[in-house]
Amino acid sequence: MKNKAKEKEIKAFIRADDPWEPVGPTPMPEMSDLRGWTMRLLETYKPFYAPFCDMCCRCTFGKCDLSEGRRGACGIDMAAQQSREFLVSCCQGAAAHAAHGRHLLEYLMGKYGEDHKINLGPEVQIEAPIVRTVIGLKPETLGDLSKALSYVEKQITHLLSSTHTGQEGGNLDYESKALFAGLMDMVGMEICDISQISALDMPRSSEDTKLVDIGWQSADSEKPVILTIGHAVMPSKEILDYLSANGLYNDVEVCGICCTAIDNTRVSDAARVIGPLSQQLFYIRTGIADVIVTDEQCIRCDVPMEAAAAGSALIATSDKICYNLEDVTRKDPDEIVDMIVNDKKQVLILDPEKVGEVATKAAIKLRPIRTKGLMDEAKVKELAGDCTRCAMCERVCPNLLEVSKAIQAAADGDLELLRRLYYTCVGCGKCDQECPQEIPILKMMQAVASPETFKMMTGRGASHEIDVRRVGGALGQGTVAEGEISTVKKFQKTDLDFGGGRIAGIVAFVGCSNSPEQEDVAEMAEELARRKFLVFLTGCSAMMASMKRDKDGLNIYEKFPSEIGAGGVLNIGSCVSNPHIVGLAVKVAQVFGGFPLRANFEFIADYILHRIGAVGVAWGAYSQKATSIASGANVFGIPVILGPNGAKYRRLLLSDDQEGHFPVGDIRSGKVLDVGRPYPEHLITVVESKERALVSIAKLCLRNLDRGPMRPMRLYHYIDLHKKYIGGLPEDLHLHIRSHTEIPLAFKREVLEFLEGKSWKPREGEMPVSPTWFGSFPSHTNLADLYQGA
Amino acid sequence: METQPYHRIIMLTGLKAAQVLKETEQCANIIKGARRPLMVVGGKIGESDGLGRPLGQYAIEIAESRGMPICASAHSRGILMEMGWMPESTLDFIDIVNHLKNKSWKGLMGEGNHDLVLFMGIRSDLLEQGLSTLKHFAPHLKTLTLDRHVLPHATYSLPNWHKGRNYQKFLDGLTEALGPQAQ
Repeated sequence: MKNKAKEKEIKAFIRADDPWEPVGPTPMPEMSDLRGWTMRLLETYKPFYAPFCDMCCRCTFGKCDLSEGRRGACGIDMAAQQSREFLVSCCQGAAAHAAHGRHLLEYLMGKYGEDHKINLGPEVQIEAPIVRTVIGLKPETLGDLSKALSYVEKQITHLLSSTHTGQEGGNLDYESKALFAGLMDMVGMEICDISQISALDMPRSSEDTKLVDIGWQSADSEKPVILTIGHAVMPSKEILDYLSANGLYNDVEVCGICCTAIDNTRVSDAARVIGPLSQQLFYIRTGIADVIVTDEQCIRCDVPMEAAAAGSALIATSDKICYNLEDVTRKDPDEIVDMIVNDKKQVLILDPEKVGEVATKAAIKLRPIRTKGLMDEAKVKELAGDCTRCAMCERVCPNLLEVSKAIQAAADGDLELLRRLYYTCVGCGKCDQECPQEIPILKMMQAVASPETFKMMTGRGASHEIDVRRVGGALGQGTVAEGEISTVKKFQKTDLDFGGGRIAGIVAFVGCSNSPEQEDVAEMAEELARRKFLVFLTGCSAMMASMKRDKDGLNIYEKFPSEIGAGGVLNIGSCVSNPHIVGLAVKVAQVFGGFPLRANFEFIADYILHRIGAVGVAWGAYSQKATSIASGANVFGIPVILGPNGAKYRRLLLSDDQEGHFPVGDIRSGKVLDVGRPYPEHLITVVESKERALVSIAKLCLRNLDRGPMRPMRLYHYIDLHKKYIGGLPEDLHLHIRSHTEIPLAFKREVLEFLEGKSWKPREGEMPVSPTWFGSFPSHTNLADLYQGA
Repeated sequence: METQPYHRIIMLTGLKAAQVLKETEQCANIIKGARRPLMVVGGKIGESDGLGRPLGQYAIEIAESRGMPICASAHSRGILMEMGWMPESTLDFIDIVNHLKNKSWKGLMGEGNHDLVLFMGIRSDLLEQGLSTLKHFAPHLKTLTLDRHVLPHATYSLPNWHKGRNYQKFLDGLTEALGPQAQ
């Protein structure tokens, strides 16, 4: 319960008197305020745990064995322990983004002032759909975003405190908090990206967002080379600005790995992209980089050691990653350059502007004395000959690759397996470390890797209102239910076929991507785009997807349209750009439903869950940020599919419908109707192969609201993909066909035969026109008020 | 014969590790003793993994010998069909594990949940996580992995067969011990 002083504080914080929309039921919600919604999600999508180990090792009472129903010394059981670990992961992810946002905002406000206006381009009217919906604030300046971020920071503190020994004890409540942590992550990421788009003049939702070079040879190694690694663009931006201000734009190469690389290309044409995070060790060990600049997140812990071995200078720039280095921030730039070049010192500089000058000057001085070069193929074969076939390399491989076999083939003169291995390797270097013969396996893979350079779309940013109308219409959202039309005053009918075609679903490939196979994401994206799904990509997935060409030499960015519509393929940006995808769904609810967003989270999430066929795919596994991003999508009602490594996140949310009854409310009639089963089927699940993923993506796009041609179109893809990649008709097909009109024409005869075998009958009884879970969980939302006010 | 997991990423942290079955007869007796066994296969059953023929063929023979149903996970259904076998069910690996952990599930044949689940041809990192789920949350059933390497979260696992011919010898012996026809 919030007391009056608290309510007053919230009203002041969100400027409640601003008239843009009435304030909804949950302004600045705390974890208990949305517990009704998160618990309702967990009632249908039950936690599924797959523990790594049997023990809890978190406190000094332990270690405690939690197997076979045992409880730990504190009383915790295995389910609660697993859910606690998942919440810790979500807090780590949310904190990483929020802290990134805090540094970014401090930097931007220092440069441009806290009154600097948010500007996502003239066509973007809802600038911050997540902040508006969750907090209830309509941010106008960087200062507003800073304020909004302080709310996120406070919530993360509360969430993390609940994981302390002797705090929360219920696994469902831990899960509820994990979903809330995901929500906080969405807010934090959105703040991050709209602040940098606004202040750093990043692309603003333009359909002709440029294509940039990507590949390990995209940077001209003849020039001085500065490699930036991580996620925070500030140091890179200052390097690029320094080059520009000093007429060095064409004389020094700035290349990047991981999300920093994407954001560099959003601020400068001079930036090059080496590749995703798996490229770190490979590229560092080439010795091509004269200076390595680390910022934050997903950066290897051994960069100082590796940089020293490769002969590269190192500048760490974040208080999150100091590497035991001397802080030289207060020293004169030329003195620091001297320390780096002459004394071979690795340094910590916590002033991005100073990094710009020092990194550039150091790279220019170091280039003439760079000595490293690539190994030649003859040397690769010679080194492979030292292999004793102990196979320790493949026993330690986290991607289960047959490293030993490739080395043995190389010893026999065949380098093809080693070449292919490069493209499936996650770049962890454990094989090198374990080899008793000290064979430099990564360097050998790099030496035989193709020097190809590809084209990647740089990050496009947020969706604008034309996109929203196009996508919403094509998703069948143009039809706010007839009953609602009479009650929703602001409703505007929209052309259903705007944009020329329907969209079977929105699919977002996010996060790390190079396992199990590098080409998986590109192949899945292509298959779906061909079927007129709308395909978004961000971060390392966006990079990896560019590295596959068809027989005509084109990759997915060159082949498919870059508009937000049917069959579009777009890189939205870096990790912190992910909320633009969820934001699109939120905007559809606002534009098509006519519902206010302001502090109206539960209603908007309920709307998205039941109506918008969107699926997230986090194919590779690596960071805790993936758990918080996925949870952020989940709490908004968007399901997520993980690749096989994702099972090691240890917690899924699965429905377990066996009864064939599933009640859903209908806002129009006020009735509770039996729809048979929950849609989407799962909230977060794992699949073993890309073939299975494609089928599951199609199935997870099914929604209760599928009307008219939407259900047969979605079923068409479900069936067709199943026939193509699994074989035959899906065995649960009869459960998803509600009437004869929903049978896809292309498969009518065989589906009818199948249905006959299942004794299928058309679903009788009313179906909800406006499906909802309201009424089945405790909520502050008053639907009557909402409809009257809309 | 090694009983530590082949892949170090699935090294056990805990006390309850799989019983490693080194003898064909021991393995055959466990399968014979099950009332409602189930075979779950994955996307790697098309591979021979050091054997003279694909894993899937062994899976089919073992299942057929005991009249046990096969659940095809990942994209293994098509692979089985190419081998002339129609699996009783096709489900995501996670979905079948999710069903199995529910004690009151009716089972693949509608006769009740299974008491022994055999696994073949599933990525070891994914399989190990699924086995962990069953180890911790499905005390009503036992698991047996027939892949070439140790999986510590299983109830019963084969050892690491470093030589393919030894693995082949084991599986040949197992199919022989189980007999050619369903009883």
